[in-house]
Amino acid sequence: MTVPQPTPEEMAERASIDRSTRYPVMFFFTSAAAWLLAATLLGFFSSLKLRLPGLWDGCEFLTYGRLFPAHMSALVYGWAMQAGIGVMLWLMARLTRNELKHGVTIIVVGHVWNAAVTLMVLSVWFGFGRGIPLLDFPRWIWPIVAISYSLIVVWMIPMFRSRRNSAVYVSEMFIIGAAVWFPWIFLTANIFINKGTAPVMGAGIDAWYITNLIYFWMAPVALAVAYYIIPKIAGRPIYSYPLAHLTFWLLAFLAGWTGFSRFMGGPFPAWMPGVSGAAAIFILLAILATVTNLMLTLKGCSKIWEYSPSLRFTVFGMLMLGLYALLAAMSSTFYFGKDLQFSHFIVGMDTLAFYGFFSMTIFGAIYFIVPRITGAEWPSGARIRSHFWWSTYGIMTLVVTMLVGGIAQGGNLAVWDQEFSTSFVNSSAYVVGRAVAWALISYSNFLFLYQLALMFIGKGRKSEGPTLIHAKPGAAASAKAAAGLS
Amino acid sequence: MKSDTFLKLIGGLALAFLFPWVFLILIPFVAASNAEPIPYLEGEEVEGGVTAYPDSVFYRHGSSDYGRQIYAAEGCVYCHTQVIRPTYAGPDMWRPGWGGREADGLARETQPLDYTLEEVAPLGYQRIGQDLSNVGHRITTRELMHRHLSDPKSLDPDSGMPAYLHFYKKSPYGEGLVPTPKAEALVDYLLSLKKDQPVPAVK
Repeated sequence: MTVPQPTPEEMAERASIDRSTRYPVMFFFTSAAAWLLAATLLGFFSSLKLRLPGLWDGCEFLTYGRLFPAHMSALVYGWAMQAGIGVMLWLMARLTRNELKHGVTIIVVGHVWNAAVTLMVLSVWFGFGRGIPLLDFPRWIWPIVAISYSLIVVWMIPMFRSRRNSAVYVSEMFIIGAAVWFPWIFLTANIFINKGTAPVMGAGIDAWYITNLIYFWMAPVALAVAYYIIPKIAGRPIYSYPLAHLTFWLLAFLAGWTGFSRFMGGPFPAWMPGVSGAAAIFILLAILATVTNLMLTLKGCSKIWEYSPSLRFTVFGMLMLGLYALLAAMSSTFYFGKDLQFSHFIVGMDTLAFYGFFSMTIFGAIYFIVPRITGAEWPSGARIRSHFWWSTYGIMTLVVTMLVGGIAQGGNLAVWDQEFSTSFVNSSAYVVGRAVAWALISYSNFLFLYQLALMFIGKGRKSEGPTLIHAKPGAAASAKAAAGLS
Repeated sequence: MKSDTFLKLIGGLALAFLFPWVFLILIPFVAASNAEPIPYLEGEEVEGGVTAYPDSVFYRHGSSDYGRQIYAAEGCVYCHTQVIRPTYAGPDMWRPGWGGREADGLARETQPLDYTLEEVAPLGYQRIGQDLSNVGHRITTRELMHRHLSDPKSLDPDSGMPAYLHFYKKSPYGEGLVPTPKAEALVDYLLSLKKDQPVPAVK
């Protein structure tokens, strides 16, 4: 089964939609990529400091307690959310076949967002943090973040309502979901935590916010990308559309219950971590069904991922989503969770979500979108290949060392009559892996930022054919042709 | 017609999210808000004339509350937890001193009201360093607490704790360090961390 080829009118329409999104989307992509490089460097230095606690003693700006939250804030609000917003804007315009309006407003608000993230990272770095993971910033920053996010995504609602196809694509549902869920969880978390009348619930709500950010914002945006790019590049419809809708609603009903299982045995009513753990296990079903659905869509033409950068990053990201859901479900049972919950495992899991599945999928989208909106091809397939492999080596090193290191550290912590510092000494070798991983990822993202900057200033390759990972420039018109499938 | 689809989608999303939002967040938060101290029943033996849990003598003021902010700003929660789990979830209670004064039979797991003095309970993110729920019982003098902050390796060569030298100034009278007000406040806060007050029986 093949998809009908577009007519010249449709091609012209797409080109005008792409032109309308060019400046806002490129603004978000390039500033996000710059934040990503900063975040990965902060990740490297924080891991180094954790391995060598005596390093830079006396310098308050280089303590783990400040570098690590600064790294997390830059990674999530600087990189992930901005890149995700750029992808949402372009996808919404293309799917609804509407030109993006209010581009100037979006760019102006985008600058406000960047200013807010800068204040966030600097305030944590300069000692005004509040020690609440992912919500470390001083309390006056959250309204700026909430308002600027709303002013960017609100324009998608008229686009969705005036869409040209009467059917609703599943990608559109995921984007609308991500657009409305984030303000809800962000406002809930900030208002309740800042009220401060129930300190223990404040800590629980923060854990709830972190997993909800992953399942209610990152997963929907990444799945919107995957449900768009995988069928598009494979040139065939989604294997099962009803299943795609079903998994959307499963996620919608389940994700809000997760989070409290990060504190099993903590000072909460026992049913709360229990319910969260059960929700994480049911979500595994939804995610596995989604990943299977996407992989079956690719069945028979999986060779394309050797050539197409977008497909390769997206497919890798989706496999990592499956891995994340599996480990999240496992660690929400007492059997595994009680030893793992305060170990390096938690860092491995959060990084797997932020970088392993979300960022890798978004890279796939960026490699797809940028040539279309700038009208030029990526300068070098070899650099894309390096970006993929160094990122993959990096994230796999990080995930494996943190997960195994977490098991080692958690195992040591569980031996109550052993010296406490044994758990630190025995796990410090794994922290070396974490530092090496961030160094690799920093290098790969330096390449990414360099390429993206070339595209931004219009120094892309002018050519008929897209840049493929292996083919020489201009050698094949499509990944399908390069893979010998057309 | 099309706008109907949008409203239906939003309605469905709102309905799906409303359940966890109400039952997991709103109701438990309201129920736990502004919890009143629980008085001890008649005949319950509590030393020092303490009449209710949590007791008002534990309430922090001034310096130690400033110390709480420093604890948060320095990101202590990223390495130190303040939660003692029941034995079904981990052997925290078995570690010497973690659960409180076990010699007096007062060691216990942490309870929600133990965190009444915090803005957000610093339950922690990772456990790279020791749990600090009852550190005020384990390290009892200011001098020793300052040493833990300024030169932890002298107490345990395997310690992973960095020396927080930016809280200390060189002594103008030769060798040694002088704590800054920040260090004093942080020590006040750490010395106040005691989470083993007996919990009253509920009628």
